[in-house]
Amino acid sequence: MGKIEWAMWANEQALASGLILLTGGIVGVAGQFRGWEFAAYAVAAGVFVCLLEYPRSKRAKGTSVERTGQYCFTVCVKAFGPLTRNYYVRAFLHAAICVPGGFMLATVLGCVCLGIASLIYLAAAIRGEHWEPILPRKDVRKPVAESIKNPPQNPPPRPPPEMRRKPAKELESSAYDNPIAVTDE
Amino acid sequence: MAVSLRSWVANEGGKHLVLMLWLGANTWMFLNTFLLYSTGQQYHYLYKMLGVGLCISRASASVLNLNCSLVLLPMCRSLLTFIRGTRAVSSRKTRRLLDKYKTFHVACGVAVCLFSVVHVSAHMVNLVNFSVSYSDDFPALNLARYRGEDPKRIILTTIPGVTGVLLVLILLLMFISSSHCVRVSNYEIFWYTHNLFIVFYIILMVHMVGGALKYQTNVEAHPPGCLKPNQSSTEQRVEDLDRLEDEDVGRCREDARFEPHWPQTWLWVSGPLCLYCVERLYRYIRSSAPVTIVTVVKHPCNVIELRMLKKNFKARPGQYIVLNCPSVSSFENHPFTLTKCPTVNRETFGIHLRVVGDWTERFTQLLLPQPRMDVEILPMVQQRTYPKLYIDGPFGGPSEEVFNYDVSLCVAGGIGVTPFACVLQALLDGWRGFRLQRLYFVWVCRELQSFYWFAELLCALHQKLWQENRPDYFNLKLYVSQAGDLQSMSEERFRPLASRLLVGRPRWKLLLDEIGRSNKQKRVGVFCCGPKGISRTLHKLCNSARSCGTTFEFNKESFS
Repeated sequence: MGKIEWAMWANEQALASGLILLTGGIVGVAGQFRGWEFAAYAVAAGVFVCLLEYPRSKRAKGTSVERTGQYCFTVCVKAFGPLTRNYYVRAFLHAAICVPGGFMLATVLGCVCLGIASLIYLAAAIRGEHWEPILPRKDVRKPVAESIKNPPQNPPPRPPPEMRRKPAKELESSAYDNPIAVTDE
Repeated sequence: MAVSLRSWVANEGGKHLVLMLWLGANTWMFLNTFLLYSTGQQYHYLYKMLGVGLCISRASASVLNLNCSLVLLPMCRSLLTFIRGTRAVSSRKTRRLLDKYKTFHVACGVAVCLFSVVHVSAHMVNLVNFSVSYSDDFPALNLARYRGEDPKRIILTTIPGVTGVLLVLILLLMFISSSHCVRVSNYEIFWYTHNLFIVFYIILMVHMVGGALKYQTNVEAHPPGCLKPNQSSTEQRVEDLDRLEDEDVGRCREDARFEPHWPQTWLWVSGPLCLYCVERLYRYIRSSAPVTIVTVVKHPCNVIELRMLKKNFKARPGQYIVLNCPSVSSFENHPFTLTKCPTVNRETFGIHLRVVGDWTERFTQLLLPQPRMDVEILPMVQQRTYPKLYIDGPFGGPSEEVFNYDVSLCVAGGIGVTPFACVLQALLDGWRGFRLQRLYFVWVCRELQSFYWFAELLCALHQKLWQENRPDYFNLKLYVSQAGDLQSMSEERFRPLASRLLVGRPRWKLLLDEIGRSNKQKRVGVFCCGPKGISRTLHKLCNSARSCGTTFEFNKESFS
């Protein structure tokens, strides 16, 4: 019960796969194993996937926690508009990226993980989710209320001066007579 | 706030000791196995073929065995509750260590992931070496079928290879979905992927079948590096010649014979796995009887109190139960702390639950009658049909220890007061039987209305203790953190609360100083159940120096 946001899990999985692909690629290139060109490709692909997946999406319901320093990545990813907003595009993109990784031993794990992430993104896209950037909230200044512009015209209710000044013989009573009775609660 | 050694040792010493022991066990296993494979006579030929990759992979495998067996033990919650309950077995220090079971589980899990990476990398190197250094002298030792076989083919055609790939995939899925943000946003994803552990363990136990690595069985008859009977010494390589001269090995009496290792993982893993399965079965059987809902009370600030009845249900103050309501969701289980335990006189037990999130909302809708606009004036006797409810538990929590200190400080934030409500209820029933001599109770809420959840209980306890001439036993402080208007409880019967109500956030350092001065040279148990900010500040304060010689031991009850 309850709506599960698949995109959050897909994002974590894709980021981890990007890192694994990158590591596998570095190992493949460093060791100059057979098929190291695939490893070089995996390095580039891994970096790309990490950059794409680093900014977290805003959650539909609940608080969204940003990753540290993701603001600049958010701005870059947001600039691509509907390409990055839509999860169908991401699903097919990841599926396409992961295929060359399967040809070399060092990068095969990254390939499979990215494939799983692409499947989860497909599930998220079918459920109708999309990527929302987390932007810092601009504090909307409350529009200045009407009453500020018009200060009160009349002083607070108290009787006019002539009624306030009591005759001398009634000095023991209060300084002025309140038209409204004030009682101690 | 300077960290004082004595306070730090009292608070953190036990945890760090266990951590050191665990690290030491891992290091010892790693080094032991590494040395076995690099210097053992029976592995000599294998070592020559594979190199140091063999030692690293086997050493990390033994560490993996250890951690895979340890990772299950902290999750046997009923067993931990039982250990907590038996006074004779464990001391307060051991029980305090039991609070950290989740951290230990996470530490073992991270170790499994880390050493899996090491293990997989070392085996990749081994595969390349199996293929490149295909041995013609000892064909039985080879895993590859011919020299230069593609390592990918070796992976896909041997049992260890295929099972290894599956294990890594499952492990990765489990690890990634147990990250903090996935757990917080969608607990179900974490729960369902984590339950793949059973597949993981089954595959782990067959991982070694097939015998990829073999050891030599006849070391006496064929000392490694000896000369073959029809070989002359000039055909030997230089280093062998030097060694032969040193060791005077001589001729081999027979050819080397190799046998694969029998799988050892099941020795390590089957014990904890059986224990865990038995525990789950026990919990399932125990929770199969539905509970009867006796009363449902609505409290201010979105809190519902639920009173229930179940046969043979026993609980101690500070424990929690897990609720499952099939009408709301068949698979979701939610933990709630008990606010009232069953006693000899009254067998009902109760929880207070705050309506936050979709499960609690739906659950409350099923429990409470819906306000209908067209309700008739005449009161109708309606048969209230409550939904079927199953509970699992009770499970132990840190707040059970409140009674085992001379002086305790309980700090509650908002709905975090629930474990302490049970403690106060137990004190109301009979406060003389416990070791506890003084209880400080600090409750911080955002709104004034929240205090009405337990206002009667607090006043009743206060009244009882004053009448029995122990006014210093229960010291209450209530704080309302958000200053609004009308901040006072005007009812006459809640006068003790109104006079102890303060507006604003509490100042913890001053509070702890005051408690320290009144209880010199004592050990005060601090129990915190509330938001992270409060618990972090209190933890730091408990670790810092105290001028009056009082030690504060910090115990935290976590929500999730």
